[in-house]
Amino acid sequence: MQSLDVISVNLWQMLVSLANLVLLFLLVKKFLYKPVMRMLETRRAAIDKDYSDADEAKQQALSDKLQYEEKLRDAKSEADSVVKKAVATASEREKEIIANAREKADGIVRQAENEALLERKKAEDAVKKEIVEVSSLLTEKVLEREVTAADHQRLIDSFIEGIGDDDGTD
Amino acid sequence: MKKPSLRFRLTDAFYIAMMILPIVFGIVLKVLTKPATTGISITGAGIYFTIPMPIQDFPVTESQVNSVIALVVVLFLCLYLTHGLTEKADLKRQHFAEMAVTKVDDLVKENMGEYFNGFTPFIIAILALSAVSSLLTLCGLFPPTSDINIVGGWAVLVFFLITYYKMKCGPVNYLKSFTQPVALLTPINLISEVATPVSMAFRHYGNVLSGTVISVLLGSALAGLSAKLLSFLPGFLADIPLFQVGIPAVLSLYFDLFSGCLQAFIFAMLTMMYVAGAFDAETFFKKKARKSAKNKS
Repeated sequence: MQSLDVISVNLWQMLVSLANLVLLFLLVKKFLYKPVMRMLETRRAAIDKDYSDADEAKQQALSDKLQYEEKLRDAKSEADSVVKKAVATASEREKEIIANAREKADGIVRQAENEALLERKKAEDAVKKEIVEVSSLLTEKVLEREVTAADHQRLIDSFIEGIGDDDGTD
Repeated sequence: MKKPSLRFRLTDAFYIAMMILPIVFGIVLKVLTKPATTGISITGAGIYFTIPMPIQDFPVTESQVNSVIALVVVLFLCLYLTHGLTEKADLKRQHFAEMAVTKVDDLVKENMGEYFNGFTPFIIAILALSAVSSLLTLCGLFPPTSDINIVGGWAVLVFFLITYYKMKCGPVNYLKSFTQPVALLTPINLISEVATPVSMAFRHYGNVLSGTVISVLLGSALAGLSAKLLSFLPGFLADIPLFQVGIPAVLSLYFDLFSGCLQAFIFAMLTMMYVAGAFDAETFFKKKARKSAKNKS
């Protein structure tokens, strides 16, 4: 087997070796660099996503908490207002009921008064009638004759007028 | 973590086999074609056959075959490392792959800047090919990096890259850069331009080859020493290779393992330095900005 000299420059050998290096560069790029870089990239993206998700969740939780607190505060004030309202309504109703009752009582009293007045009038009328009868009887007896209807009426009226005047001053 | 499927394991086995088989093939080829040498002989790569070509014949040598072996080994190493990549990084090899890629990526960013982000796979390729080529000596194969043509090819590629990035600022600027700082220095600048790839190639090739040379010389020296010391013994006892046990292994540790990896690293570093240094970012971006401003108006 022949051998080259220790130093022997050969153009074609250099060219082939150059091509080898270029080929290996392409192979390394395709089979080592790109897959590894892609993997690193996807991992970084996944980690970033996890972090952003966590941040988002935290933000959400914080805003939820604020919201709940606000709601709680609202609920408390609402309860207060409800109670106040209820109290107000109750007092109003109370007043109303009392007013109603008073009104009713007043009505009853008025009615009773009216009735009493009516009774009195009735009684007065009855008394008037009695008086008329008695007086006519007495007059007949005194005059000894029948009083005519017209006289009678005139007499009675004057008499009653006198009584009424007396009565009216009472 | 669930157990890998049979298919997955078979693919793994295939990748590992394809990493080992080319080396076995190289060893077998060497055993079949290269006669055992006696005594000291320091030669270049053995020639399997020669293809007639214009300008110069193309000899297919050991270094050519071995560099293809190294290429295949690196390719299947990449395939093995990236086999079964997952987001959660279930496999140990994924950690290794990610570490290697990110380390080189950081190195590139640190030495070349953000503009050269795409250089990472190229630097990985140089590192892997050079290191694996040098480490083939551990299997008794001829290291392709001790052939000037192999390393020279890489250096020429680096030279092309340097020139390409110098041309980025325009051919006029490129030509003008030779007359810096004074026109008188133009020839020296031209020489230094050519010297860059030559020095890179010679540095790498010389380091690996010198390791081989020293190993061979020392091996023979140790053999002579043991023969001399044990010559008074009768019969086969005189042939005991007393000093050849262990001592060459220590040297091999340095010349093959350490030097091989170090030279790969140096070559990669120099590539990064030269290419990044060739690119005049300031002028380039100034020119670009001016161009885009002109396009707008």
